Amino acid sequence: MKKRLYNFIFHSFCFVVYVFLLAPIIVVLLSSLTTTEYIVFPPKGITLKWYIELVNHPEFTQSFVLSVIVALGTSLFSTFIGTLASIAIVRYQFKGKATIVQLVGSPLLIPSVVFGVALLQFYSWIGLATSPMALIIGHIILTVPFVVRLVVASLVGFDRSIEQAARSLGAGAFKVFFQITLPIIKSGVIAGAIFSFITSFDDLTVALFIVSTDVVTLPVRIFTYMQYQYDPIITSVSSIIILFTVVLMVIIEKVLGVGKVFMSKN
Amino acid sequence: MQVEIKTYQNQEIQKQKKRKLDKKQLESWLLLFPTLMIFIFFFLFPLLSLFITSFKTFDPNSGIGDKWTLENYVKFLSDPFYLGVIWRTIKIGLLTTLLTVIISYPVAFHISRASGKVKNYLTLIVLSPLLISMVIRCYGWVILLSNNGVVNRTLINLGWIDKPLTLLYTELSVVIGMVHVLFPYMVLSIMGSLERIDPSIIRASQSLGAGLIRTFFSIILPLTLPGVFAGSVMVFSLSVSSFVTPAILGGPQVKVMSYLTYEQVAVILNWPYGSAIGFVLIFMATVTIIVYSRILARSEKGVAIQ
Repeated sequence: MKKRLYNFIFHSFCFVVYVFLLAPIIVVLLSSLTTTEYIVFPPKGITLKWYIELVNHPEFTQSFVLSVIVALGTSLFSTFIGTLASIAIVRYQFKGKATIVQLVGSPLLIPSVVFGVALLQFYSWIGLATSPMALIIGHIILTVPFVVRLVVASLVGFDRSIEQAARSLGAGAFKVFFQITLPIIKSGVIAGAIFSFITSFDDLTVALFIVSTDVVTLPVRIFTYMQYQYDPIITSVSSIIILFTVVLMVIIEKVLGVGKVFMSKN
Repeated sequence: MQVEIKTYQNQEIQKQKKRKLDKKQLESWLLLFPTLMIFIFFFLFPLLSLFITSFKTFDPNSGIGDKWTLENYVKFLSDPFYLGVIWRTIKIGLLTTLLTVIISYPVAFHISRASGKVKNYLTLIVLSPLLISMVIRCYGWVILLSNNGVVNRTLINLGWIDKPLTLLYTELSVVIGMVHVLFPYMVLSIMGSLERIDPSIIRASQSLGAGLIRTFFSIILPLTLPGVFAGSVMVFSLSVSSFVTPAILGGPQVKVMSYLTYEQVAVILNWPYGSAIGFVLIFMATVTIIVYSRILARSEKGVAIQ
């Protein structure tokens, strides 16, 4: 009897926490369907007019496209240079290795606000105008630590005798890398790329300092819009991003089977 | 004669080895080159210049004056208003950490005991906040907590309150938002240490007659404390340095250090002062992590001795 009571309390507590976790996301999704001119939850009536209304706000579409471009660029560069650096860190002995490992991990310790301010000061000194590239560079700094951490983890347990076998069978260094090494560390590299994409797509703090009036990423666009207006158009924009994220995750899972890759490793 | 040949051969081998080593050194630097260049030019250098800026005087025309001063740090660390901001930042960090531990422990326990598909779904629910944009999640909390929001209307309908409570733009709303954002880090950390517990220890405890509660408090909880501790340090340092949540759910009414940095630089344009606040913030976050790794190193040594 007592055990049952404990069990009941435990499960209800967990249930409340799961509701707490999903609540803000569900509220945003449902509020976007309201027929009213203001945000209300639960929505009054059901309509898609706030999605159609987006046609009159091309700035959101522009920002969405920019954010995707910046996130793709960040993901690509960051994964590429981060993977190279991880190979150097795991497989080579060189002077100052510990310092370099610390340097590459340190953006995780620095509050992004401070990094954003520092980057803004630097960009204005060297006269670099706001551009997608300026944003990508800032986001590379934020994401390389994750890529290095994930790729180093997948390189550490690597059986190098397979590579040696390939080399002795006459394969060149590049062939060995692309046909042996890369497929084996694939899960770490892909996880790094996905993490970089999400971090860059989500970043408000650093972008807030670097954006200009015509180069505005989506999080900054939503943030500034919210400060002046409170209409349901924000909820429809947000819902589209949520659905975009979910669809992206499902595709990644189906096509690349990241989950499976992780599972088979254990 | 033979000896001479041998030493000559040895020298040749040494030279070859050295050449091979030099080639390896060169390869490693080539691999590191792109990352190092970007980090030196776009990370180290900007931060160092900002550090220098924090020791400059304020000039209303250009933002940064020519003279050197310690005034920015002195002002921030002695003015009661700014000391209040530091205290609020730490208080919100501590409250967030405490609440996160309390709500994530049972959930971590729940997930680690679930099996198969249920476990996957629960993990997905817990990790979903990490995948959905932070701005949008905070926005969801704005809808929930505003004067006319779901929480207030539910409370009024239930007859518990007459007038809506001010929930939004308070320390409470910032803490709620932070707990929501940082929850996954704590759950993952606790789950890691829960899953490392050898199930035979728990069976042993139960077969010796200890009840569920006793087994939990004298076996499971102590063994997972390192995970709780690691998660707490991570959550605390992330919450004192986070900007998005306090900016959206607190705004100018609930000023924390990260918001103050932003305000000084982007609104008041007092760059030196903004940078000084930023570096005090870096100092706080770094000290937390260093103290943590010291304690962790010591406790690991203790385990090794045992």
